Amino acid sequence: MKFHRSMVLVSMDADSLRKDAGAVYERFQQELSAFGLNDEIALSQIVEVGRHDILPMVIVYPEACAYGPVSSDDARRIVEEHLYKGRVVEDLLAPVKELSGRIGWLKSRKGAAPMEKRIVTRRAGRIDPENIEEYISEEGYQALAKALGTPAPQVMEELEKSGLQGRGGAGFPTGRKWRFVAGTKSPKKYVVCNADESEPGTFKDRVIIEGDPHSIIEAMAIAGYCVGADEGYIYVRGEYQLAQRRLERAIEQARAFGLLGKNIMDSGFNFNIHVHSGAGAYVCGEETALLESIEGKRGEPRARPPYPTTHGLWGKPTLVNNVETLANVPPIILNGAGWYRTFGTSSSTGTKAYTLLGNINFRGLIEVPMGITLREVIGIYGQGMKGGATFKLAQTGGSSGSIIPASLQDTPMDFESFRKAGVSLGSGALLVCDESTCVVDLAVALMKFFKFESCGKCTPCRVGTERALRILTGISQGKGKQADLDTLIALAAEMEFASNCGLGQTAAVPIRDTLKHFRAEVEAHILLGVCPSGVCEMSAELQTA
Amino acid sequence: MVQLTINGKQIEVPEGTTVLRAAAQAGITIPTLCDHKELTPYGGCRLCIVEVQGFRVPIASCTLPATQGMVVSTETEALKKSRKFVLSMLFSERNHFCPFCQVSGGDCELQNAAYHEEMTHWPMQPGWNNYPVDSTHPYFVLDNNRCILCRRCVRACGELAGNFTLSVAERGAASIIIADTNVPLGESTCIKCGTCVQVCPTGALIDRTSAYQGNEAQITPVKSVCVGCSVGCSVNLLVRDNRLVRIEGDWTGPVNHGLLCEHGRYDPMTESRQRITSPLVRKNGQLEPVSWDEALGAVADKLKPLAGDAHTGVAAIASTRLPVETLSMFKELFAGEFKAHIVTSTEEGMTTAAVFAVAERMGAFEGKLDVLRTADLTLCLGADIVNSHMVAGFLIKRALPKGMRLVSINPQAGVLEDLADLALVNQPGSDLSLVEGLKAIIVKEGLGRTPLALPNAARLIEEAVRATGIPLEKLTQAARMLAGAISPVILFGKGITAQRSEHLIESLHSLAILVGAVERERAGLISMKGEANSTAAALLGLDAPFVLNGQQAVFAAIGDDYVSGRLVKRLVKAPYLVVQAAYQSKLTEQADVVLPVSTWAEQEGHYINLDGRVQKAEKVLTGPEAVRDSTAVLGEIAMRMNMPVRADWQQAIRERKPSMALN
Repeated sequence: MKFHRSMVLVSMDADSLRKDAGAVYERFQQELSAFGLNDEIALSQIVEVGRHDILPMVIVYPEACAYGPVSSDDARRIVEEHLYKGRVVEDLLAPVKELSGRIGWLKSRKGAAPMEKRIVTRRAGRIDPENIEEYISEEGYQALAKALGTPAPQVMEELEKSGLQGRGGAGFPTGRKWRFVAGTKSPKKYVVCNADESEPGTFKDRVIIEGDPHSIIEAMAIAGYCVGADEGYIYVRGEYQLAQRRLERAIEQARAFGLLGKNIMDSGFNFNIHVHSGAGAYVCGEETALLESIEGKRGEPRARPPYPTTHGLWGKPTLVNNVETLANVPPIILNGAGWYRTFGTSSSTGTKAYTLLGNINFRGLIEVPMGITLREVIGIYGQGMKGGATFKLAQTGGSSGSIIPASLQDTPMDFESFRKAGVSLGSGALLVCDESTCVVDLAVALMKFFKFESCGKCTPCRVGTERALRILTGISQGKGKQADLDTLIALAAEMEFASNCGLGQTAAVPIRDTLKHFRAEVEAHILLGVCPSGVCEMSAELQTA
Repeated sequence: MVQLTINGKQIEVPEGTTVLRAAAQAGITIPTLCDHKELTPYGGCRLCIVEVQGFRVPIASCTLPATQGMVVSTETEALKKSRKFVLSMLFSERNHFCPFCQVSGGDCELQNAAYHEEMTHWPMQPGWNNYPVDSTHPYFVLDNNRCILCRRCVRACGELAGNFTLSVAERGAASIIIADTNVPLGESTCIKCGTCVQVCPTGALIDRTSAYQGNEAQITPVKSVCVGCSVGCSVNLLVRDNRLVRIEGDWTGPVNHGLLCEHGRYDPMTESRQRITSPLVRKNGQLEPVSWDEALGAVADKLKPLAGDAHTGVAAIASTRLPVETLSMFKELFAGEFKAHIVTSTEEGMTTAAVFAVAERMGAFEGKLDVLRTADLTLCLGADIVNSHMVAGFLIKRALPKGMRLVSINPQAGVLEDLADLALVNQPGSDLSLVEGLKAIIVKEGLGRTPLALPNAARLIEEAVRATGIPLEKLTQAARMLAGAISPVILFGKGITAQRSEHLIESLHSLAILVGAVERERAGLISMKGEANSTAAALLGLDAPFVLNGQQAVFAAIGDDYVSGRLVKRLVKAPYLVVQAAYQSKLTEQADVVLPVSTWAEQEGHYINLDGRVQKAEKVLTGPEAVRDSTAVLGEIAMRMNMPVRADWQQAIRERKPSMALN
């Protein structure tokens, strides 16, 4: 690998590409050779992290100047002024005030954002994801080397000691899951990475894969070694085309480097990975539906038990982990459980990536230690509510997360505290809403989603979501009756009690939470025919009544 | 064995038993809709959920394997409430207004479940949505308004019939049962076996012929056996007021395990042939209705002088669809008393003669169809099983997705081509060279499981390639697949047996031994035979070619069988023809005397299927007044000629060595 005096990173994610980032990149190539700077300056592709307003974005190191949006003509000016003459092109710089998401991270290198700690996203945006050498130069594949030189039980013990819990939403201890699979007796086992990130508003896994695909490959190889699997599948959400391409390229490179395939690092360990594209069904993010989908069947969750750890892909013991969970593995192996436990709380260790969205000033991805509060997230990372509005509620983990009212915004965000408070951390989306949001409207939107995405296998979810949506729509149109609330509560209870999978069990959570925290507001729709937030279109008849 | 506790009751069940089945064994009823004992557990309806100690949420008992020490409750208040709620959801989802439904009042499992939960109404508003009704199928109607999306039909179509026509389109509340890529059922790849109708718990799939003809309480089901072909499927005949209402597969059937094909389930329901209701005698060139006395008298007068005249007397031919009682009587009368030279069956031994001739020397060597359950490769030779013996075809088709491989070699192009991993076309008559060639390749490559000396292997291979017209690499591929299988099965049909070559059968047998299809207890070599009683006819020796050569009279016992054009043509020359049959045909038209007899459902009788099961068909219907039992008619003819015919069929079928174990 060569060393360069400067480095130019061009954002090449799906959004940037739509805005012609490809042309910008090519222009940089042309201009760099025109100025004879090819040997001095490295040109790389990165993913953008949460800044939709300034794409395509270009970052120049070591100054850490962020330009954006950049046109291909701007590329020439940046090369000539900044790289050739050494003067920052002030008028092309991205507006500094709003540079918080990714640039927040840039600042953090100087110690500006005290509580942020990047583990799973530490490389995303800093290295060229299409170049394995850059990954290797950043501690890449060292964890695999270390793991392959250690007995598998010891590796898993370290993982268990680290306290890592699944980041897909349920928070199951990762080390224990690995041990379950390792403990099964089968000549064939599988490791599956769940990258079907389809919770609305969540895109942490996409950023990790697009920005640092090798970390997943490395983690899966470590997992394969520990549990005794020689084959892995990465099930990528269908819409994540770029992520799929990056993964396929990364797998190809890893294979060429002997980091996948037969006899990896002369250890006698064989491991291969396939990338499998989803086809747009939300329910395929549920691990057993995901396995069905890989097997080429209709994406419907299986009945459990037996669990995938014993009867998974093609009936074989299978380890299914989320992208973010896996991305935590190499740093834990490399730095030890003790190091990992210094982040987060004693019961929920490490960091958590969140995607911030809603009525706040900064929207994008952050990675923060477990246990910081919602108030801190909104105040520091979200840079406060938009227009100084009042915080009303936040919705975690996409649709199957909980609704967190303002009264809970000082609860530490970790698995245990949330469980105690009766809410859930979910998959990592934080939809922050102010007083202009109507809870009935929000519940209708969520239920529409669930009704559309229910697979239809089990009765409570299939009928329940349809029924709940009808009732909620009625309430939002001013046709609600007081008795509807009892029906909704009964429906919610039944769906949670009798549904087959997590989708059905949690689809009712928004109803339950809404009625628990905002019952008065819902009743206003029914009894007074008024939407306190002025969002719902009440029927004229009831408005006059 | 594992011990578990259900509702405080200690139960011991074999490992792998589901909690639902364990409960049933202990006499504890757990309501369920999507579960069916012949189908893979699904866990969709959520009616059977139970609470299990140590689990956070209740679990569907149909999919839950019982484990040691498990403590299960099925009747907690929460579960009872949940069951009612789930049922209410199902009732309100689509159109489930019982009074208007054909299965209401006993046949509907949804309604029965509601009664079990003591429901009198459902508290939710109905959905009031309209769903499509597909009435394009000749035998049944799919009314999606009555569907509860349990997927029994979808699973039955794929898992039992191996056809995968039915599936679910869309998802969630929009889910709907479709055929293929949402084409009308009548235009789909449906093979019309009707298994989906048989498993449907509600009135979503209703049989056209039996709809609104009464429910379980009014219909008497009688266990019997199908006589459509030699597979010998067990059936339940549903009869009401001397009318066949419906035919269903018997889930306890040893061969078919509940499956039936189009012919077995629907042919008898759609019978369109004209019934013969009176004995007929030809007078002045016209067939005229006469009394039984006159008809039998005419037959006796004509035949009696011919008794003992072996070659120019009587020739007799009987259908292989007749019960063994009739066939045995037929043989006693014509071969025993008349000493006729030509006494045979309508199949003329085309499917059995060579096989039984080999068994005469070697003893029983054929296996039971059950071997298909464990087979990892099936080789079909000269047999289009999927079309000729459909239920056996289902057993093959449904094993394919589970990994069984299929090799088909047939002189006719296209046989099993869509299904087979390897389908080859050989030249007609080249089967012996083919089998010898396969053996030679296996021996030459050292792949055989048992030692076999073939010094002239190279020549045999060369000869096989030349005679069959199959390139060497294809033959080698077939040989390697066959030799590489752990438990292969070889099925052969009329294409092989019709050659009447004992040498070919022996060669096949040695191939079967070479590749391990036949070893120790396992017998994976089976000939498909022909009609329902092929095997019985062969055991009775009714397997000679039917060649008329100066006989003065022909007696044809047809029963309710179809008459082939070939037979009709050959009997045109018969100087005097007596036909006993149930239906009018080209053959009865040219007969001199026609004796009307009962059909399969109108008389009791035994049938021996292709793998040697002796099964009984019951009399469930009473035929038209003038129609008589086919065995009795033969007995009366004998009586009129003072021939004491002893009719012990059980003794008669034991006079010849069978090619398979009889049971």
